[in-house]
Amino acid sequence: MPSNLYAPHIRTPKTTASIMRDVCIALCPALIGSVIFFGIRSLLLTLVSVLSCVIFEALWQKLHKLPVTVKDFSAVVTGMLIAFNVSSTTPYWVVIIASAFSIIIVKQFFGGIGSNVMNPALMGKLFMSTVYPTYTMNYVEPMQTDLVAGATMLSAMKSGREVSYTVMDAFLGKVPGALGETSALLILIGFAYLIYKKEVNWKVSLAFMGTVAVIVTLAGQNPLAHLCAGGLMLGGCFMLTDYNLTNRTGNILMGVCAGIIVAFIRVWGMFPEGVCYSILFVNCMSELIKGIKTKHIYGKD
Amino acid sequence: MLKEKRMFQGGVHPGDGSDKALSRGKPIVPYIPSKVRISMKQGLGPACNCTVQVGDVVKQGQKIGEANHFLSADVHSSVSGEVVSIENGIVEIKVSKCTLDYTKKDYYHEFVETDGLERKKLVSALKKYGIVGMGGAGFPAGAKYETSEVITHVLINAAECELFLTCDEHLIKEQAMAILNGARALKIAAAADKVVICIEDNKKDCYDYLSSLLVGHESEVDLMLLPTRYPQGGEKQLIKAVMKVEIPSGKLPANVGAIVSNIHSTKAAADAIFGKIASTSRVITVTGDVNNPTNYLVPIGTNVGELLEESGDVLSENNRIILGGVMTGRVLGTNLNATALKEMDVCVTKTSGGLITLDGYFEEESSCIKCGGCANACPIGLSPFKIDSAIRNGKIDLCKSLSAVECIACGCCSYVCPAKRELTFHTVQARDAVRAKLREEAQKNAK
Repeated sequence: MPSNLYAPHIRTPKTTASIMRDVCIALCPALIGSVIFFGIRSLLLTLVSVLSCVIFEALWQKLHKLPVTVKDFSAVVTGMLIAFNVSSTTPYWVVIIASAFSIIIVKQFFGGIGSNVMNPALMGKLFMSTVYPTYTMNYVEPMQTDLVAGATMLSAMKSGREVSYTVMDAFLGKVPGALGETSALLILIGFAYLIYKKEVNWKVSLAFMGTVAVIVTLAGQNPLAHLCAGGLMLGGCFMLTDYNLTNRTGNILMGVCAGIIVAFIRVWGMFPEGVCYSILFVNCMSELIKGIKTKHIYGKD
Repeated sequence: MLKEKRMFQGGVHPGDGSDKALSRGKPIVPYIPSKVRISMKQGLGPACNCTVQVGDVVKQGQKIGEANHFLSADVHSSVSGEVVSIENGIVEIKVSKCTLDYTKKDYYHEFVETDGLERKKLVSALKKYGIVGMGGAGFPAGAKYETSEVITHVLINAAECELFLTCDEHLIKEQAMAILNGARALKIAAAADKVVICIEDNKKDCYDYLSSLLVGHESEVDLMLLPTRYPQGGEKQLIKAVMKVEIPSGKLPANVGAIVSNIHSTKAAADAIFGKIASTSRVITVTGDVNNPTNYLVPIGTNVGELLEESGDVLSENNRIILGGVMTGRVLGTNLNATALKEMDVCVTKTSGGLITLDGYFEEESSCIKCGGCANACPIGLSPFKIDSAIRNGKIDLCKSLSAVECIACGCCSYVCPAKRELTFHTVQARDAVRAKLREEAQKNAK
């Protein structure tokens, strides 16, 4: 029996593709910002990354005679996020290799969309920062005609050097950093669109950011600087909220755990930044959190 | 009078009301066909034993099917005429006469005396005149009201949370007094403390109309306005919303002191109790992509194809025709028109509330993206995506531990799924598989 004969006979107009398309739209303000801050190369890097993600997904599915699902826009989202996580000076080939790793190993090896345990874009970032750290972390000063190397706010804070940027600079994005991460404002604009479209659980992001803010404040550091600097906004708004379902309460618990990890790495750890690790860590934890029964079943207990 | 807003968990709010607007505001049109085909199975239980033979001349209201199970109710002829054929438990009668309009009776116009009514007699009247739950389940009213449990609330379900359907609200607008009298009688039939007519707030006018009629009789019938949210009219959700209690797993509403009756059943009960008229007709909404969406008052056994023809046939060749509501009904066929539907001989039963034509929209299933929409929408609190994956892999024990048996098949999970997965279908499949397994185990243990 064809499936359009099963009840219910009306369905929501929302589809996987429409959700992913909305995420792409929500990432656009940050993309435009990156072009303003770091020049046209940001856009080219993003395009290369998106194209290679889409091509690798289609190729893999063709080779394995699976239905080709690139039309669902999920590879586009992964591609955009991979590009957002590198500096604008990164060579194209690094991004292409990272895309292949993310799409084939992290996503398709585990069964494709919905079945991947970890966020493919973040695994791509981890891959690049482990294998090609010198290529992907050459951060440059924004809004400069010549490439001027600059230290990120977080690494300056970490090493105890004087931070030459204000919190407002970080909020607007006028700081060195990965191309999609710098402007908290533009990320929040995109995030507001997703909340308006009811496609994310904003409470998870709030729990994540709130936890970081509380812990860094207790450690005597400026919470606003921590919220605006580094990948916290991008990670908290777009990667932590990536569907990786446990349940509502479980997701908030995941947000809190990720927040604790980020704050501890940033304040006491060896690295200046810990967003990537924290989110991948809670991705792995989701199976554990699934075991917590938080939902009430009608007529039971 | 109660006016608070109360809720249940989960649920969905599809549509913007334009679906109901299609058939709204036009009076109910009586329609008498030239023949009726009455099924001996009009409710939950097995088919009744037919008590007439081919060639018999029957009168409207005459018993033609005898219930043989406590979950079945007697079936009566909906018309006067001659029995033409009896096949597969369906009695075909050529119509010579049929009366649908009882509104001249006094209980359609004023509050009638209910002091002398006895519970026992009322329950036997419900049985005798074949009253069943006309909302869709078809549970016989006699069996429901005969309960030995102490009943505090009789809830008259006029929520009509299904999209498109407007037969409940038109029934209230045209036959309100009969409904109020029926509700008063049902309160006695259940020996309940109060009877509450529950209406969703998208039918505020019905609520206002009923409350205007109730002036001076406020203590007899309660009215309650509920938020518009599907499945507000589900028995479990209605009880939760009104009484703030849940029916324990595996129990009946009576176990928490509640009886839920549909608004059509209430009107049929009024006819049975005050008019001694058997339940042989109902109002059905014919709507969707048809030329002239209308509510029809028809004798049971009317061919739905004739109703489609009366409403001016389908608008497009590419369609699906659904009997019941869009959330829970079943597809009769695709790409049909009135003539083709007539040939299928699908006939109105006591539980058919709507005939809806939709366009032939079709979308393929894709992979679950773990968005959790289904789990949030489930009014029971299940995780349909887990049950779906478990049953597709044949893991019935896992379905059991995921409480698949609690599924009420409301359709919310499939409605919200962005991957268009057939979650409702598979969850119901899992529910039935677990039930079958439990029965099997029980039988083994009994041995």
